[in-house]
Amino acid sequence: MTTVQSPVPASAAPVSGRARGAGARGAAWLRVAGGLLAVLGALLPWATFVLNEGPYPEKATLQFFVAPLGLTGFRLHLALLGLAAILVSVRAVRGRARIVRALGWGIVATSLVNGLYITVEGGGLGAITASGGSAAFGAVVALIGGAFAAAGAVGGGIEPLPVREWRMPWWAEWLLLLVLFGLLLLVVSAVLTSGGQGGVVNPYAGAVFLSFLAAAGGAFAALHASGLLTWLAAVAERHRVFSIVVLLVMALLLPLTGAGTEYWMTVAANIGVYAATAIGLNIVVGLAGLLDLGYVAFLGIGAFVAANLSGAAASEIGIRLPFPLVMIISAVVAGLFGAVVGSPTLRVRGDYLAIVTLAFGEIFVRSAQNNIGGLTGGANAIPNIPQVSAFGTAFNESIAIGAVTLPAGVLYYVLIVLLVAVVMLVFGNLKNSRLGRAWIAIREDEDAARAMGIRTGPIKILAFLIGATLAGLAGAFFAHKTAVVAYDSFRFLESVTLLAAVILGGMGTIPGAVFGASILFVLPEKLREFADYRLLLFGLALVVIMRFRPQGIIPDRHRRTELAPVTAQDPPPAKGAEA
Amino acid sequence: MTAPILEAAGVTMVFGGLTALKDVSFTLRDGEIIGLIGPNGAGKTTLFNCLTGLYAPSRGAVALRGTRLACDPARVTAAGVARTFQNIRLFPGMTATENVLVGRHVRMTQGPLSSLLHGPRFRRSEAEAAERAEKLLAFVGLTRFADELARNLPYGDQRRLEIARALATEPSVLLLDEPTAGMNAQETQSTRQLILAIRDLGVSVVVIEHDTKFIFTLCDRVLVLVQGELLVAGTPDEVRGDPRVVEAYLGAPPEEIEAQIHRSEV
Repeated sequence: MTTVQSPVPASAAPVSGRARGAGARGAAWLRVAGGLLAVLGALLPWATFVLNEGPYPEKATLQFFVAPLGLTGFRLHLALLGLAAILVSVRAVRGRARIVRALGWGIVATSLVNGLYITVEGGGLGAITASGGSAAFGAVVALIGGAFAAAGAVGGGIEPLPVREWRMPWWAEWLLLLVLFGLLLLVVSAVLTSGGQGGVVNPYAGAVFLSFLAAAGGAFAALHASGLLTWLAAVAERHRVFSIVVLLVMALLLPLTGAGTEYWMTVAANIGVYAATAIGLNIVVGLAGLLDLGYVAFLGIGAFVAANLSGAAASEIGIRLPFPLVMIISAVVAGLFGAVVGSPTLRVRGDYLAIVTLAFGEIFVRSAQNNIGGLTGGANAIPNIPQVSAFGTAFNESIAIGAVTLPAGVLYYVLIVLLVAVVMLVFGNLKNSRLGRAWIAIREDEDAARAMGIRTGPIKILAFLIGATLAGLAGAFFAHKTAVVAYDSFRFLESVTLLAAVILGGMGTIPGAVFGASILFVLPEKLREFADYRLLLFGLALVVIMRFRPQGIIPDRHRRTELAPVTAQDPPPAKGAEA
Repeated sequence: MTAPILEAAGVTMVFGGLTALKDVSFTLRDGEIIGLIGPNGAGKTTLFNCLTGLYAPSRGAVALRGTRLACDPARVTAAGVARTFQNIRLFPGMTATENVLVGRHVRMTQGPLSSLLHGPRFRRSEAEAAERAEKLLAFVGLTRFADELARNLPYGDQRRLEIARALATEPSVLLLDEPTAGMNAQETQSTRQLILAIRDLGVSVVVIEHDTKFIFTLCDRVLVLVQGELLVAGTPDEVRGDPRVVEAYLGAPPEEIEAQIHRSEV
């Protein structure tokens, strides 16, 4: 937790609360009481008995004050959030109400996740209140504490987001960014691995992950509320090239952290595939404003082309081309299909275009299912696609450099990081160019764009072509990484998930698409037990986001002002992570 | 001052059974400001749409400096005819600067590859475009709103931004569709100054406006369009004194209307 800040000079501190007398003082007490209750809740026992699936993580059945200093896991998070809320409440900190509100929501979300898990697993409210002679009110107390803190924060009046404009010498800012991105790497690694691998042997993986996400979200939202994140973003923007290089290096260092096992490398590589695809989709949807409901087909086309050219025994074309060439061919073929699918945009707009793209996605899946031309393997898929290899090392082997042994799959991870970096570069450069402005102009008002001399037809097709090319590139990687390409990886559901990732993360931004793709493709991995409810939960998440943060979690600079209503400028509970 | 720059010859526009424009011909000379007036529904905006390639005229043609214009807004804009819209059509989610930069689209040469690689030529052309945009915003007096979203600008300034965006295409002819609609006297006055300044840049201007006082004091010549036909064309003084214009605007004297009704009944 890094929400503790230097106190602001008294003159600069907002004193609006004090003027309103008793009501404001009551709110202040409520905030402190909320923080105290959260800490208390963290120390109390959380479950009245050992659950059937095995003991709940973090010694949830521990008795009161058995080991107050030995707190770990979600209880530690709650205690930290509560302490931060108390500390911020008693000191004059700019943006205090917003910070405490964020912390309060973080506490609420964390205790809700754990409380609900214990309740459901324990077969009723008795598990978190009292049964069989033992009492466990930790969840209830912490929940009330969080609600108090949030209510007290809102009751004291919400001031606008503080703006900080500190400047430091360039070397100090570089050092700060280096430390910051290092911490970011550790946080990402911790979030990714929290709860461990989901599955039968690890029944609480989902609970631990969600709880961690809620606590981290609350902490990030609090940081954002203090104006620090905005300031840090401005610092990073001042040293743009340095930041990009450091971020890339940090991404490549992930295998050296706790996430450096074969399993997490595979998860990270899959996230990378979908992140690259989501960025491609972001060109079509986010920039040009053309709704594409069948986009995952381009990922599929790229994957099948790569599978056929890789020398897999099951492929119709029995040739094996070097991997870089396969990638380029996959991208070009997918791009050509993109242009074909994009061509109706010359005549079809809006909802009608969405239907056309939906139909294209279905055509692709059905054709692949029926093994069209013997190219897709139909229900048998195309298995045993050879691994990529370079200098005699297959990419799925673990490698040892000196004393350090890197996990298997690390080379694939490095490759996808570089691929995503390239895709980001393409997106960023195109967005800030004549072409990108033309796309955005078409999104804003197509007729006016034409009147400004933009030849909308070719430029819209170009959006489809480039988006599909990027997806094709990711598809070629996907085929080699998973070694099997089957039609059912490219169903409508995947298209919807990609679209949801773009909208959830924030349309038209790179971090938004990456964040959205990460969340939406990690969650199913973690929450195996909720597989049946996946779509239901996606739908709920989208509704919540559209209601409280229609501009997405990490919005475009423009959309932020455009879509954010004054009353709902803050992130909703536990979703406030901002990179 | 005398060379014809824009020439419309027998422009006719038929929508189904409705003839919106009937054989409209006029010429716009270099450095001239022409006013286009007429009652609602007379076909003024339709004429603009025909001039800018948004509509393909059913008959007739439009020529810029003797070259026939295509029926494609993008190519017409590239040839040098820019316009504003009656109901403001800015790109609301883009900043004022970005709106003007979109106007630079036809004058920039970066292709997709150059946009992708951001080489030195790309950076030169971006810097040049940014400089032009800055100058144009200063020209219409919107420097303080450069980084503001177009949707957040005050109404009058949105109209000015639309003019700046049109000027960014480096037009030789600028078509303004009701540039002072909804403005107060002071804003109208500053718009007049702006149009005169645009003329002084060497751009010929056609203005649609309902405010006849504005038109008669600003324009070199005035065209009166009534029910799709060019009724009168001449200097402001000639047009103002013409009884047909008065009739078109105020209606015929009562006895004449009765006579018309009588005739139609027979």
